[in-house]
Amino acid sequence: MGKSWLRDYIIKRLIYTVIIALGILTITFILVRVGPSSPADKYLANLAARGQDPAQVTAAIEARYGLDKPILVQYADYVANLFRGNLGWSFSTSMPVIELIKTHWIYSFQLILLSSLFAAFLGMLIGIYSAVKQYTKTDYAFTFLSFIGISIPNFWLGIMLILVFSVKLGLFKTYYDTTLPLFSLDNLKALVLPVITLGTGMLAGYVRYTRSAMLDNLRKAFVTTARAKGLPERTVIGKHVFRNALLPLITIIMFDLGSIVFGGAYLTEIIFGIPGLGQISFNAIFANDYPVVVAVTLIGTFLVLLINLMTDITYTYLDPRIRYE
Amino acid sequence: MKTTMDNVILKVSNLKTYFFTRRGIVKAVDGVEFELRRGECLCLVGESGCGKTVTALSILRLFDSPPGKIVEGQIRYDSLDLAECSSRQLRQIRGKDIAIVFQEAQSALNPVLTIGDQIIEQIKLHLPLDYSRARDRAITLLSEMGIPSAEGAMSYYPHQLSGGMKQRVLIAMSLSCNPQILIADEPTTAVDVTIKAQILDIFRELKTRRQMSTIFITHDLAVVAEIGDRAVVMYGGKDVETASVSEIISNPKHPYTSGLIECLPDISKTADRLTSIPGTTPNPLEMPQGCAFHPRCPKAMKICKQQEPPEIITSKEHKVSCHLYT
Amino acid sequence: MSERLRDKVRGISQPLYSNARLINYYWQRARRNKLAVFGLAFIIFLVLLAAIGPFFTLDPTAVNFEEKNIPPVGFTIEQSVYSIETDELSTKEIHGTRRHPLGTDSKGRDMLAMIVSGARVSLLVGLIATGIAIILGTIIGVLSAYRGGWVDNALMRFTDVMMTFPFFLLLVLIVFIFGPSLAFIVLAIGLTGWTGTARLIRSESLSLRTREFIIAAKALGASDNRVIFRHLIPNVTSLIIIIATLSIPGVILAETALSFIGLGDPTVSSWGIILEAGQHSLNTAWWVAVEPGTMLFLTVLAFNFLGDGLRDAFDPKSNI
Repeated sequence: MGKSWLRDYIIKRLIYTVIIALGILTITFILVRVGPSSPADKYLANLAARGQDPAQVTAAIEARYGLDKPILVQYADYVANLFRGNLGWSFSTSMPVIELIKTHWIYSFQLILLSSLFAAFLGMLIGIYSAVKQYTKTDYAFTFLSFIGISIPNFWLGIMLILVFSVKLGLFKTYYDTTLPLFSLDNLKALVLPVITLGTGMLAGYVRYTRSAMLDNLRKAFVTTARAKGLPERTVIGKHVFRNALLPLITIIMFDLGSIVFGGAYLTEIIFGIPGLGQISFNAIFANDYPVVVAVTLIGTFLVLLINLMTDITYTYLDPRIRYE
Repeated sequence: MKTTMDNVILKVSNLKTYFFTRRGIVKAVDGVEFELRRGECLCLVGESGCGKTVTALSILRLFDSPPGKIVEGQIRYDSLDLAECSSRQLRQIRGKDIAIVFQEAQSALNPVLTIGDQIIEQIKLHLPLDYSRARDRAITLLSEMGIPSAEGAMSYYPHQLSGGMKQRVLIAMSLSCNPQILIADEPTTAVDVTIKAQILDIFRELKTRRQMSTIFITHDLAVVAEIGDRAVVMYGGKDVETASVSEIISNPKHPYTSGLIECLPDISKTADRLTSIPGTTPNPLEMPQGCAFHPRCPKAMKICKQQEPPEIITSKEHKVSCHLYT
Repeated sequence: MSERLRDKVRGISQPLYSNARLINYYWQRARRNKLAVFGLAFIIFLVLLAAIGPFFTLDPTAVNFEEKNIPPVGFTIEQSVYSIETDELSTKEIHGTRRHPLGTDSKGRDMLAMIVSGARVSLLVGLIATGIAIILGTIIGVLSAYRGGWVDNALMRFTDVMMTFPFFLLLVLIVFIFGPSLAFIVLAIGLTGWTGTARLIRSESLSLRTREFIIAAKALGASDNRVIFRHLIPNVTSLIIIIATLSIPGVILAETALSFIGLGDPTVSSWGIILEAGQHSLNTAWWVAVEPGTMLFLTVLAFNFLGDGLRDAFDPKSNI
């Protein structure tokens, strides 16, 4: 009974995901088309300074981008293009947007991955410890610190870290060298401050969630049973309590990833000059290069969608109470 | 009088377990004394809140330790005092020499591990068996407990089992390492009547076939009458009457015990209302002065409000704490 | 309908804001949380600062290159000065003065004035944008819970779509497309930040729907609208207050972040713009980055303390 039910559930979730994906595309499309300046206008502003005839250029651009066709056709083209991986042309860098993405996504990925690992690992450890030692001074201290951690604006934290560690103490360099291999020692050193910046907010959140999930389970009857069996305390906490706490925790962590992390990563990349997707979007804003901005937004959103889907399926698969109805 | 000292397997002396909470000190167990003899089924009886569960938890020090603490008393088992011994010694006894089964089997099993995992975990902890032998042993235990297709049941999760089956799994788990003493905390309370009968059968068998020494906690005198050898009646954290079950039923000395017996519904009689003991169990933060039962006692005297009653031994190993017998 | 019955219903369905004893009870509980009280005090201070501060400070836009890069009162800093006559670099000591208690930036503008002006912006954006988001979220949440059926389905799918967009990325996109004027920023934040509220209000409304007083009200013949407005919404009031208090910091952070990356309204001095300038002069004028950031941090902290304290106070299960 278990296996086919899981498959049905996955199919249902996939259909739902497709619907949401269409919704995302529609909203993005509406935003772009409804905006006050048509895509041509912004490019025009750049070209005007180079002395070309505005009217001709407008007509050419509109024809090239199919802006003279009816709205629904434009929409269909838009979706079809996306499927083919055509994200448009970047005016400012003179290359297809997709190429720009391909060369830069890895740096964002590296930053987010390292920050998440740092935050999740440390956060869970502190959270478990805090829950087990509830009501002690250590617990209060950690709770207070995690409160501070989620309140601190992460872009300000980045600047302060640069001020203290780079400017005043000269410990870390503040730029990232793309000519060096990804995981070279130099680059990793340059990533220390950004990872702390992006990771602190996440860390504080994870400490709170883990602590709360652990506390929910610590007083349950099966914990006393485990102790009554004669198990050492660390097995009771580590195996029995934590496994029960882990399940809902994974869900919360993954959903959090979507809503907070991408915004934070955007700012962190800008502050530390990491050449990821946030950075290129930022550059594009100043060059009025809208396809890049739209593309980065879409990528971020679809990643969130994907993560949500995978989390849902993973959770359903892992929780025995759902799997064996 | 027959000396039964060498037959005693567990002796609880003047046990006091207090909980130090923000709202005050809860004296959950306040001077409890009893002994468990080899092969007997000793029942701890009383309403909810009288301290019987905490007494059981105290034997293995399983209560939450920041608020709770054994402030006085001894729990003699083998050559150890369980109230004082180290955690390491205690852990060797838990699940191996002394095992405990809780009520609410629903929540007493870990929901994310298979029952096979949970039983094998305990076996491997205490016995020098490899995985497959441990597994075989677990399967044998489950089928002895009357669980159908025990081998398949090993990979079930707790929520897939019925209430009665879960209780059996718990009992099987507690027996897995052949304990000397089994403590059962209200195993029949949260189940319906048919399952209750089955579980009582299991306990009867444990006594006859394995000569298991049991401490059986319940609030139901009918259950006590069915399977108990001796009974300790508890009220307000203290033991108020101790005697053999037949004595207690035929010749109850403490007014609370008589009250409990009267509460038992008797099908053969017709009655308009069920009898109950007037009043409610005392608030553990505000225990009455003197004898804890005096506000509800039909035979209360003036001295009951002032002084705690002493322990008096009447005939045939019958102990009672009541001013009526001084 | 008998008078007594109506009075009985009125008794159990009394909303939070018209019951003085209840408000007092919650207030007593909230007061005991010292952090929450500090938060409230700071917020009041901030509001006062924003409201009357500008009358007492210097003009935040007054550029004065003579007085550039002065440190805050009590600090001394060394500046290298290039003298054209002698073709030499010499160092000069600059002391903080009481005229510019928080120092000046690279264009000689008074820091205190700019920060006070920034407080105004942050609070306005915080309050208005949060207001928009809360109202929108509550309407959608209540409607969804109450109507159920396809309305609920459609609204929740729409909410799901909006929730999938990473908040900041969507905000950047909208402000980029529509232009960085303060009005649009406020509108954009309000129109993208309602999703969490909608979900929470919806689930609370769903659980309230089956409670006795709602069923009683309907049994007494109340129309749907009446039930929603007179019974449902007042009872989610405490939840709304908590959500609002905890949403404001996120909104303020969003506006500051937008200004920081250059998508803010250039005609107002937001903390974000100051911070951005400060980022480039960490070597020469560290206070330009530290001051607005600290204010921002304290503001966020204050609202979080207050919101957390309120949440504990309103929760009957927490023992305070």
